[in-house]
Amino acid sequence: MSGRAFSRIALFVFASTVMLHAQAGQQPPRPTDDRIGNRLGALTPADPAAIERGRTLYSSGCAFCHGADARGAQGPDLARSLYVTNDEGGRVLGEFLKTGRPANGMPPFPTLTAGDLTNLSAFLKTRATAAMSRPPMDPASIVVGNATAGAAYFNGAGRCSTCHSPTGDFKGIGAKYNPVVLQGRMVNPRVVGGGRGVTVPPPPPATVRVTLSGGHVVAGRLVSVSDFFVTLIDGNGVRRTIERDNDVPKVEISDPLEAHRQQMLVYTDQIMHDLVAYLVTLK
Amino acid sequence: MKTGLVIAAVAAALSVVHAQAHLDPALLGKPPVDAWPTHHGDYSGRHYSTLNQINQSNVKSLALAWSYRANTAEQGAISGGVVAKALPITLGAGAATGGLLKATPLFVNGVLYLSSPDHAWAIDAKNGREIWHYYWRTSGGEYIGNRGVGMYGGWLYFGTPDGYLVSLDAATGRERWHQQVGEVKSNYYSSAAPVIIGRRVIVGLSGDALDVPGWIESRDVETGALQWQWYTTPRAGEPGAETWPNDFAREHGGGMTWTSVTYDPQLNLIYVPTGNPNPVYSPEDRKGDNLYTCSLVALNPDTGQMVWYYQTSPNDAWDFDSTQTPVLIDTTIDGQPRKLVAQATRNGMFFLLDRTNGKYLLSSKVAESVNWSTGFNSKGQPVRNPDKLAQRGGALISPSNGGVQNWAPPTYMPETGLLYLNASQGFDIHYTYDIKGSPGEFGHQAQAVGGYDMSMRAIDIKTGKAKWIHRYSGSEWNPPRPHQVGGLLSTAGNLVFSGAPGGFMVAADPQTGRQLWHATIPAAATEIKTNVSNTPITYMMDGRQYLVFAADDALYAYVLPR
Repeated sequence: MSGRAFSRIALFVFASTVMLHAQAGQQPPRPTDDRIGNRLGALTPADPAAIERGRTLYSSGCAFCHGADARGAQGPDLARSLYVTNDEGGRVLGEFLKTGRPANGMPPFPTLTAGDLTNLSAFLKTRATAAMSRPPMDPASIVVGNATAGAAYFNGAGRCSTCHSPTGDFKGIGAKYNPVVLQGRMVNPRVVGGGRGVTVPPPPPATVRVTLSGGHVVAGRLVSVSDFFVTLIDGNGVRRTIERDNDVPKVEISDPLEAHRQQMLVYTDQIMHDLVAYLVTLK
Repeated sequence: MKTGLVIAAVAAALSVVHAQAHLDPALLGKPPVDAWPTHHGDYSGRHYSTLNQINQSNVKSLALAWSYRANTAEQGAISGGVVAKALPITLGAGAATGGLLKATPLFVNGVLYLSSPDHAWAIDAKNGREIWHYYWRTSGGEYIGNRGVGMYGGWLYFGTPDGYLVSLDAATGRERWHQQVGEVKSNYYSSAAPVIIGRRVIVGLSGDALDVPGWIESRDVETGALQWQWYTTPRAGEPGAETWPNDFAREHGGGMTWTSVTYDPQLNLIYVPTGNPNPVYSPEDRKGDNLYTCSLVALNPDTGQMVWYYQTSPNDAWDFDSTQTPVLIDTTIDGQPRKLVAQATRNGMFFLLDRTNGKYLLSSKVAESVNWSTGFNSKGQPVRNPDKLAQRGGALISPSNGGVQNWAPPTYMPETGLLYLNASQGFDIHYTYDIKGSPGEFGHQAQAVGGYDMSMRAIDIKTGKAKWIHRYSGSEWNPPRPHQVGGLLSTAGNLVFSGAPGGFMVAADPQTGRQLWHATIPAAATEIKTNVSNTPITYMMDGRQYLVFAADDALYAYVLPR
């Protein structure tokens, strides 16, 4: 479920005119250590000096088997050890370290003092906390496709050039957005924004035609639509909300971006990668 | 004399409250009529009511009787906890400070019992007034949700964000005891509604941020003492251990039990749906099927022994928990009466099994957008497309992390033989990348890219195919997650009730999907969209049938005018 340790979900959602249901609050911001501490019930922040003393103990006595960062080598990953996460002040660790698990190659450490154990626990808990967040991905690393194939698809089967041009609206697009943003906006230009600090042009509005009883037509720019209401701004700039019931009155929406939505069901990952490889060349 | 009268009156009032706050345990297995006494209404998970006072001929007249705004003030609340002062809370995915009501309320003798993370309330079902409010001082934890309370006699049970099971006196809201189920320090928390079976409280567990093992357990209704625990990954030497690459992976393999079980009293089996394996997006680090994660498991509730299992997402790679409600269905197939269980899972698939032995009858794809599987194997399990694992350049996957289905239950209507659900056709792009100095681990990032649409679908359980599909207008581009319009309810009034995107509660025709009635949910103050946020319930009180549901931090009761 959620509250992920080993993934960070990037959301570049911005409010779009047709969107009634932006996924507000669906993912947490990248947690700071304090926030993680509360999730894990840390009542008092550990003393930094204790963490440092624990790090020294760890490096000399444990790192050989459990790895320099405690994420496991021949020995298990200690950031995911219940002896570490369940520990309180070295007591759980201490019980375990008295005997170790000699059958599995884990020797006992019966001479560690209560102070040593407190310090070791404080350090290992920082490793568990660090395991809940991860270094970010380098957006440039996602460009793996073939730009030539992407250009061919852009101008051919994909029919992208029907609406877009590398010398017109796409001039410089490869410099404006990072490749992850570019790929996301290509898949869904109505939902994926420009990334941190990058403003995007408003998406072209959808238009709507409502045929009322007696054949009277109200048409204009779509503001919002649901099963029960449609709101538009007509040619005179007047905002109108019209009630609907099981498709009465008839509502016809024309969305200039519709090809992008249909393409979601069609994309292969290869085509997606090739297109991005091509778009990043439009500096 | 006067004082005596007052005391007598108070005593009489209190005894009425005490008599009210009592659930006859015999009601638990019965169709929910004068009570909604357990999370799913009855044990079957059908979310079906035999009531028909509200029906197709009069549903258009349904009107608001009252509403209740969730009160989360610590002042004036009855308070409990293991710490003197609550830790500042951290809101996780989909969470809102205390108030977002995802819980299915219980209704017993004129009182509704409701919960959210850290909070429980008793509400007078006649007028929506609060009778008591209980506040748990948390020692940290996760706030994604609380799905409701369980009830036995005069006692209530609910879970907390820091992994405790709390029992309250239903009459007064006073705490009887609390018991630790999982350690908050290892990221365990409790969000599932406990289910009472006999004198047992069946308690599930949540939390997978630290790759901890999952289990489900049984506790004594009176004392809270632990009776058994069943781990969702095999213990050392047990069958199924061979589906994990090593002991460490198996013992840290996750598989949380964060939705309420269903139960067949005749077979004496509980049906436990299990969550994703851990580490969550790293299938390469746990090669194998990873039993019994992402599975439907039948346990004996007296012993916690497994009787059968069926895995619906072997070696899950995308956080597709299979924790969706197992729906128990008795019907006839090829002239033979059958005891079946149906499940529409987060990964976008539908399964129909024989619930006596777990043998599969059919499986199918629920939504067109689902693109991670190439088909089904001889056991009916979906086969993963190996090219769709996370890639450096990104793999466009449907469903999104929210799933085609999620925790909000579907409804099954015996009259139509159809399973009704809200299906989301979302997409995510899944990337993998190297992390320097982290042996055996890959970085993973999922990019949310909205999706195609959301629709209500009526699945014929005997074919696995949709009899009709109603696509929600305005759900294009960024469909809500399936639970963001709540769960479903069907009734013998020939109605299916469901939330709809844009902030509506709808009654639809079960045969066609035609919308017969809707209520527009009043706008609330918070940033969370005012869609239905829980699963609607229905019951008779004083000769009138009520429809009760929550949206955001408010509970609404609808009834026909007199």
